[in-house]
Amino acid sequence: MDPLILSRIQFGANISFHILFPAITIALGWVLLFFKLRYNATNDSAWMRAYFTWVKVFALSFAMGVVSGVTMSFQFGTNWPGYMETVGNIAGPLLAYEILTAFFLEAAFLGIMLFGFRRVSNRVHTLATVLVAGGTTLSAFWIIALNSWMQTPAGFEMRDGVAHATDWWAVVFNPSMPYRLVHMLLASGLTVSFLIAGLSALRYLYGDRSESMWKALRTGVFTAAILIPIQIFAGDQHGLNTLEHQPQKIAAMEANWNTGPNVPLVLFAFPDEAARENRFELTIPDGASLILRHSAGGIVPGLNDYAGNHPPVFPVFWGFRIMVGTGLLMLAVSWSAAFFLKRRHSLPKPLALVMVPMALSGWLATLAGWYTTEIGRQPWLVTGVLRTADAVGPVAGSHVALSLAVYLILYALLLIAYLGVLVHLALKAAKDGDTSPLPGVMNRPLSQPVAQPGETS
Amino acid sequence: MSFDWPILLPLIFAGLMGLAILIYVILDGFDLGIGILFAAAEDTEQDTMIAAIGPFWDANETWLVLAVGLLLVAFPLAHGTILTALYIPVFVLLVGLILRGVAFDFRAKVPAGRKHRWNRIFFLGSVIASLAQGYMLGVYVLGLDVGPGGIAFGALVALCLAAAYAAMGAAWVIYKTEGDLQRKAVLWLRTALVLTALGMVAVSLATPFASARIFDKWFVWPAMLYLSPLPILSAVLFLWLWRQTFHLPKPGDRHALLPFLTLAAIFTLGFAGLAWSFYPFVVPDRLTIWQAASAPESLAVILVGTVVVLPIIIFYSFFAYRVFAGKATDLTYD
Repeated sequence: MDPLILSRIQFGANISFHILFPAITIALGWVLLFFKLRYNATNDSAWMRAYFTWVKVFALSFAMGVVSGVTMSFQFGTNWPGYMETVGNIAGPLLAYEILTAFFLEAAFLGIMLFGFRRVSNRVHTLATVLVAGGTTLSAFWIIALNSWMQTPAGFEMRDGVAHATDWWAVVFNPSMPYRLVHMLLASGLTVSFLIAGLSALRYLYGDRSESMWKALRTGVFTAAILIPIQIFAGDQHGLNTLEHQPQKIAAMEANWNTGPNVPLVLFAFPDEAARENRFELTIPDGASLILRHSAGGIVPGLNDYAGNHPPVFPVFWGFRIMVGTGLLMLAVSWSAAFFLKRRHSLPKPLALVMVPMALSGWLATLAGWYTTEIGRQPWLVTGVLRTADAVGPVAGSHVALSLAVYLILYALLLIAYLGVLVHLALKAAKDGDTSPLPGVMNRPLSQPVAQPGETS
Repeated sequence: MSFDWPILLPLIFAGLMGLAILIYVILDGFDLGIGILFAAAEDTEQDTMIAAIGPFWDANETWLVLAVGLLLVAFPLAHGTILTALYIPVFVLLVGLILRGVAFDFRAKVPAGRKHRWNRIFFLGSVIASLAQGYMLGVYVLGLDVGPGGIAFGALVALCLAAAYAAMGAAWVIYKTEGDLQRKAVLWLRTALVLTALGMVAVSLATPFASARIFDKWFVWPAMLYLSPLPILSAVLFLWLWRQTFHLPKPGDRHALLPFLTLAAIFTLGFAGLAWSFYPFVVPDRLTIWQAASAPESLAVILVGTVVVLPIIIFYSFFAYRVFAGKATDLTYD
């Protein structure tokens, strides 16, 4: 078996599994901070209940993110030694800063955030929440800087086949970095808001009408409704940036073979790379030219200009469409839910039923987007600097096949267990409502709801 | 006085990496050890043992990420060579770390009936991770030689390290608990110490036969004289700690942290011995730290950050340990 393709599948599977959890923790940290600040301001214990429910999801997601992240830091060496040998001088410091400034911050204060509520003052506990949320975001900053540098490298020179940094500012803030960072942070925000909205809708369907459910539901729905139009705009800007710096990726995303004006927007097609044409095409005339160049006569790059040097068309084309399609669905669902919550102060059952599976829509869109941009970088590992095929290590294909098979089984089982726990936590919260007693904060006791006679908890 | 940075920087980074590995082994050592001891503990004791490490394990494991990260960023050539040679054991280690890391959280959140399953996974993951680390150390000592002899030696070191981790775990339980569990932990510590000592004797006897290079480094005059405090001091600490296990726990819980500190000191001495055995190689007999190092300007960029951030990390790590100081109570999110 070919170690290259197996190593690629393994790294792809690993990073796909990994990104699911940072996509949650990056934004969930800030949502938890929001719950905490609302509680500090209003003294309403329902906010603290929402906090305790979701801090468990945070803890579990964080653990999943840590273990899959550790795995990746080893795989750079086990499967892709050529990567660090060629661009280690650039990637090294960025990864080192991520570990030093972000990982330790998160890990040290996570314990206080999770278990320290009764051991430190309320102020320190809030501060711990801020530091954990800040740490996850800082971590995203460094890793996106590195990923973007691989897409659009800048601020370096090659000496004897090894990259050396000449301008660190240009390395970190390379051309695609600000766009990718904003796009990813918004994606995390959407993932979390739909997750919160969806699991709260599940509680709603199970008859939970508690204050903490409403608070979480509103937070999820309104955050999603606000973020999605911003994300659509940011995504469009990111696309224009890609057009400028990686035209072959845009050509693959649009499945456009020939460079020229009046390029139609392909809504549906089976791109056929052997014949270099699209089958079963459904198009809108001039659509792509209008979107990308804002004029019907705008020139859109075509794949034939990059023969042998462009990414595989099919996965990039469809990854992009799945992402955009999910985004439009998110727009429709979040705005309808926001309308009903704002104007009618209720949630229709059919809409709640739709919102439950939409809890995972953020994951789908995030994965589809990352597949688009990462496969879209091929055949390069670092655009114009290092080909993926040249970075793979001298490990036997059979070894990679073994590890890949075990990882896939493990990830599948963990994902099932993770989703099972999320549903279990939501149903348990729905059953308990707001009746279970809340313990006190160290210097500010929460009001203890008194169990009503005849009520079982 | 002028510094020769291209000579100095790789040396500094080798030192930092060694420090990160040492801190990792001591800190994650006790929580891996507690995972190993899970097999010998009752249900309620398991909850207390988890509570004794719950707020810390994540930060402990971050030191491994830092160690691998430093290897990756400071010695990219060595990173590739070592990790491709150890492909399968690294993979086994990762599976172990994944299992125990998630079991930690799952066991507290799944329906009560499933908790047992995750307890078992936590034990299994801890054992797998400890054995894999020991095996990797053994194979690394022999210069990444993976013949039948190398595998046997690796297996020996694996068992020895797992026993040493169990001793660390027991020492941590002595520090963090009281009553029956604490008394039980003293017995665990005694047993684990015997196993560790047996393992260390076996490893010490096997090493000169397995590696002529290391033999030559240790048994030449006068290096032998300068090095002799290392094994002698380790042996004295060992014996002293073993005797202590007949007097612990002491009235008023005096000296509860002492077993852990003693073990940490023994680990540090052993680590210094290892460092001496390898210096100046980062891949034994193949790559010195200077041959494997990144460009000096990249190392300088990392060093600036490290010098600023590392003291802060150590400061707030102490803070986190202080917040959760004292005996472990039940661990709750609220």
